Amino acid sequence: MLKIEDLRVSYGTEPILNGINLEVRPGESLAIIGESGAGKTTLGLSIMRLVEGTMRGRILLNSANLLTLSEQAMRDIRWNQVSMVFQNANSTLNPVHTILDQVMEPILEHHRANRPEAQRQASHLLTNTGLPSDRFSAYPHQLSGGEQQRVLIAMALANNPGLIVLDEPVSSLDAASRAEIVVLLNRLRRDHTFVVITHDISTAAKLADNLATMYAGRIVELGPAQEVVSRPRHPYTRALLRSYPNMTTVKDLQGIKGRMTRPVTGCSFHPRCTQAIGICAAETPPLVPTRDRQLACHRGGIVTLLATRNLSKSFDSLKAVDSVNLDIEAGETLALVGQSGSGKTTLARTIMGLLEPDRGDVYLEGQKVANRSKDFYREVQIVFQNPGESLSHRLSVLELVREPLDIQGIGTPEERDRRVRQALQDAELPASGGFLNRYPHHLSGGEMQRVAIARALVLDPKLVIADEPTSFLDPGVQAKILKLLLNLQERRGLSMLFITHDLALARKISDRMAVMLHGQIIEQGPSNTVVTAPTHPYTQGLVKTASALHSESEADAPLEQPRVETRSG
Amino acid sequence: MHVDLKKELTGSGRGRFGAALFLLMVVTATFAPLLAGYDPTAQSPLAFQSPSLSHLLGTNHVGQDIWSQLVYGARTSLLVGLSVAVLSTLLSTIIGTSAAMIGGWYDRIVMRVVDALIVIPIIIVLILVAAYLQPGLWVLIILLSLLGWQAGARIVRSQALSLKERTHLSAARCFGGSRLYLLYRHVVPDLGPILLVEFIYSMRRAIFMEAGLAFLGIADPGMISWGMMMREALDFSYVNAWLWWLLPPGITLSLTIVSITFIGYSLEPTMEPRLRGEAHA
Repeated sequence: MLKIEDLRVSYGTEPILNGINLEVRPGESLAIIGESGAGKTTLGLSIMRLVEGTMRGRILLNSANLLTLSEQAMRDIRWNQVSMVFQNANSTLNPVHTILDQVMEPILEHHRANRPEAQRQASHLLTNTGLPSDRFSAYPHQLSGGEQQRVLIAMALANNPGLIVLDEPVSSLDAASRAEIVVLLNRLRRDHTFVVITHDISTAAKLADNLATMYAGRIVELGPAQEVVSRPRHPYTRALLRSYPNMTTVKDLQGIKGRMTRPVTGCSFHPRCTQAIGICAAETPPLVPTRDRQLACHRGGIVTLLATRNLSKSFDSLKAVDSVNLDIEAGETLALVGQSGSGKTTLARTIMGLLEPDRGDVYLEGQKVANRSKDFYREVQIVFQNPGESLSHRLSVLELVREPLDIQGIGTPEERDRRVRQALQDAELPASGGFLNRYPHHLSGGEMQRVAIARALVLDPKLVIADEPTSFLDPGVQAKILKLLLNLQERRGLSMLFITHDLALARKISDRMAVMLHGQIIEQGPSNTVVTAPTHPYTQGLVKTASALHSESEADAPLEQPRVETRSG
Repeated sequence: MHVDLKKELTGSGRGRFGAALFLLMVVTATFAPLLAGYDPTAQSPLAFQSPSLSHLLGTNHVGQDIWSQLVYGARTSLLVGLSVAVLSTLLSTIIGTSAAMIGGWYDRIVMRVVDALIVIPIIIVLILVAAYLQPGLWVLIILLSLLGWQAGARIVRSQALSLKERTHLSAARCFGGSRLYLLYRHVVPDLGPILLVEFIYSMRRAIFMEAGLAFLGIADPGMISWGMMMREALDFSYVNAWLWWLLPPGITLSLTIVSITFIGYSLEPTMEPRLRGEAHA
């Protein structure tokens, strides 16, 4: 129905849209999401050919290229074949006409009917959008926001166009009116083709079959709405999802580092992307079809940073780690949850090469890790449970944090000191001479763990394994350390394997969860799914006994554990 | 926890006493030529002289000045003690830590050798070998070192093994640190207190052994040594000279050993809690 080919729009010399390719089939609903300034509205206005800038490329509506039509022909198409519900209902409506008159206007304008007939149709439309008939003769300012939105929708429907572009149809409304409009639009969606422009991902997910993520005038990800929302593949889509509050995600909100800048050579997202490599700054990735969606990313979307396959480690007859398969994606937190003795720490130590696995392999960015060279440790770091033990009491803060750089032989001594200061600042510690010369026993537990975190980060690793990093700390300090880790993840795109026995904690910081019991991963999935709909009985027990502020009789029942299966061998 | 050695040493009466005494010995040994007055080997016709202003402790059977021999004897004792302490502690450290860090077959073989050396009565071996070699000063030092490292190596190994499992070493491994790096940057410095105690005890043992061998007359007879002095004095117990000939080297030897023991005692308590791996705040 609608096909956009290499659409480029610029205002003066500033490019707004940089080669948009889209196709919307009849009856389909496509949502376009992105930050403000991404060019979403320009794209919507382009379909109406209402853009003031220069337009190149082709917009085919029912096989007619809108960009080559005369203004007269275009006027015929607007409202009749494609209409638009504009953003900001309040200023779109004419304050001196009653709403019935305004809905009649496109009908009369296009000589679709005579006045009484138009009035009848307009009333019908308004009723259809759920506006009570006693409001028909009201003026716009007498209506609520939700009612105004209904009027605009009725206007867009007036001449029964095949395609309707909705620009932020619900974003200015309160939750109750929003829900009503979403219901209305979902009903109308059966008979019309929609292009919904919104920054509100939950609306997009509710209204659209397909979802396109726009960034700086380009589409970076396009695919079935449910799949894109539940498992975003482009780093930007994931970042958007993380920064938008919703009732499904359990992790704390995270922003996106930096600001949108243009023009940018190469991939427009690369300055903010945490997995950018050389090519990302040089070439613009094309939008190419992948397994279930289209994606514009040189790295094929979010990369899997570290993977374990069949990783096993036994101590005598005890299978501490039993055929564990884990995937940790770039920039995500995977929480490894399990009680003490479930093998969590053994797994971490085996990944780090502190223990030799009996079986199985570790893969770093797709490459099998055979023997751990210094390069491996530059990418993967660990923060141990007890900072008092992981920091040598003989070394000062400066020596401690500089040790990784000394071992790796990075930079000149001055540069190392500079990086130490930077890492300390990143860990929200003072980088002054006095602090640098302190010894661990002069520091509080929270400070020691921050030093340990700074030390793990000084090599700028891609993955940090955090083994119960807050279990030795007070709740207040724990909260601060967790916030720090989340901030570092946002800024540096750090991936984390967060090991904890505390489900309530894991839920706040993780994108995905893996539950470990007797050395095996018994359940893994998005954190919200694991927490709200656990499938394994053990996980269900964990959820029941996790810290909650309201008392439930169930919560007092002891956690039932499946029997330990000790198999000798 | 930081160990302030100076504070520990001067914190107790015993420590202060030991340190002062030892310092006195070191000063004596260092400035021996100034303090002696005579060449301790120079013989003179004036044998069996009683103490006088010209000969503070009289002379011996061949007319050597006993005071000069006593002063130079401190040199021998301390030189043997310190050299053996350095060498045998070095051997203990190298062998003990390498066995702990490398492990496997190497560890097993080294530890069997240590076991064997421990069950052999060293003093007998030493007497036999020394009697055969009539060792001079440096051969004696090497001999004492070669026969004195095994117990220390075993202690060092067991401590290094427990250190190896400590988290801060795991952390250093996770920065890509090699075994050698871990050894010289973490294990050996962390073993510092143990090595110090080991050093002190092997010094004490070496001084005692040197005196003993010399007393038994199986060291190089040309060496000036407290042990040798006592042996010679004993042969002339029928003259009254034992009072200023036999007692002075006996007393200085005892005081030296006591001073070292006291230093060891005063330092030991500070090492122990850490060595047992208790948490340090």
